[in-house]
Amino acid sequence: MPGQSVRWGLPLAVSAALFTTGCQFFGDADEGETDIAAMETDELVEHIVFESDSYRLDQPVQEGGSARGRMEQDDLQRACSVVGGELSGDQVQEVITLARESYEAPPGGPRLGDWERGAELARSGYGFRVGHRNDDHSTRTPGGNCYACHQMDPNEPIYGTIGPSLAGYGSGRGTDEASLRYAHEVISNPHQYFPCTEMPRFGANELLSEREISHIMAYLLDPESPVNQ
Amino acid sequence: MFKKALLALPVAMAVGGAAQAGEWQDPADVLNNLLEANPDSAYLHQSEMNIMMMPDNPALWVADDGEELFYQERGPNNASLESCDFGKGPGVLDGAYVELPRYFEDVGKVMDFEQRLVHCMKEIQGFDEDDAAVAQRHGSGSDIMQLTTYIAMQSSGMEWQPQNDHPEEQALIAAGEKLFFRRGGAQDFNCAACHGQSGKRIRASVLPQMRNSQEWTKAVSWPAQRAGHDNVRSQNHRIRGCVWQMRHAAIKPDSMANTALIAFWNDAARGEPAILPDLKR
Repeated sequence: MPGQSVRWGLPLAVSAALFTTGCQFFGDADEGETDIAAMETDELVEHIVFESDSYRLDQPVQEGGSARGRMEQDDLQRACSVVGGELSGDQVQEVITLARESYEAPPGGPRLGDWERGAELARSGYGFRVGHRNDDHSTRTPGGNCYACHQMDPNEPIYGTIGPSLAGYGSGRGTDEASLRYAHEVISNPHQYFPCTEMPRFGANELLSEREISHIMAYLLDPESPVNQ
Repeated sequence: MFKKALLALPVAMAVGGAAQAGEWQDPADVLNNLLEANPDSAYLHQSEMNIMMMPDNPALWVADDGEELFYQERGPNNASLESCDFGKGPGVLDGAYVELPRYFEDVGKVMDFEQRLVHCMKEIQGFDEDDAAVAQRHGSGSDIMQLTTYIAMQSSGMEWQPQNDHPEEQALIAAGEKLFFRRGGAQDFNCAACHGQSGKRIRASVLPQMRNSQEWTKAVSWPAQRAGHDNVRSQNHRIRGCVWQMRHAAIKPDSMANTALIAFWNDAARGEPAILPDLKR
């Protein structure tokens, strides 16, 4: 703390008063004491996220706990935070391993639910948003937001293209055990097959329940689903 | 206040000699040049309606309101903003917006535009943190958005040149890049998830790619009339919306994270002309 030696000469009470006023005025306790130019970039980023009062870290979040937890990275998030997104072969292997370790098959094995319910979940982008507006999970169930990135029902005109088209996904695959298992693995934790994909870990991170995943699987694989018409 | 203006003088003289990067251009012309140079960019060409509306951009009215506010004597100190130093000297607005964020000697840190504007409204005009004039950050009816639109417009057609000479400016641009790629939140997103590839869509919206500077200059050209919101929006508003959609913790205005992201954003558009104000979907 470079400023401290200067203050030592002042009577203690005055010194304390000055310090308190400074904090209130700037609203950021560590400003002026942190030399951001002297920090390594990685260290500075963590300082910015957790120590600079930049985020509302104390805000409660839907999954329980506070928003601080949202900003604390797990191993997979850290491994996938490479600037430019180009991963080495070792990094790819690390991510696949992490993803496989955290994957859990549903009790009794994956199965198909109700495709109509799956269609609703695929269209809904609700859930887990916090800040100026908070998603209220007690009044509305979070969705899977599949259409944000994928084409699914070929008759639905508005779909994103960050992910591959899933129109007709079930037509060539059938509903045997292997195709059910693969669909579940990808929805639950897609990094097993697509390391550092943009797609969320819907099962592994409990964004959707196993029941809800079964509905989305039905929307994809059920021969009756509009996705396969 | 007078003393503050005097203190700012040496800084103004120090940077005053630097040439402005480009002349002022009508925002509709800036956009047209970009469209002609990038006939295949799905992002730039996505809304014919908005392109057609550029000469009648409702944001131009908001800029007019901002001009009036800028010169008006307001606040407890009954002062105008003419002595506010946005980095090129007190009251110098030409080209100031596209050179932000920058390090300010008087506060000893890097500030982005909105943070600097709020700083001036507090220090020069005497507004308190809780006064609507500085607390209300969003909407075409807010003082902040009106002033932002007017001041930013004075940089239309000039190249983005966020300052990167001071070590703290360099540190925040580098940190902003890492933040852009930092995965987090309930759904593992980072900014690059949506802005890493060209021509991709979220639902119906074509997304700008950060590494394509000619797309990116339009992407960061806020303030812009956001047609779907029927309001002029700022860079801060775009960041807040993205962070909310990413399911990260809510980001605060005037914060180091916000400034670092804007420093990196504007750096990624460096050398490209700004469209100020723009019109977006």
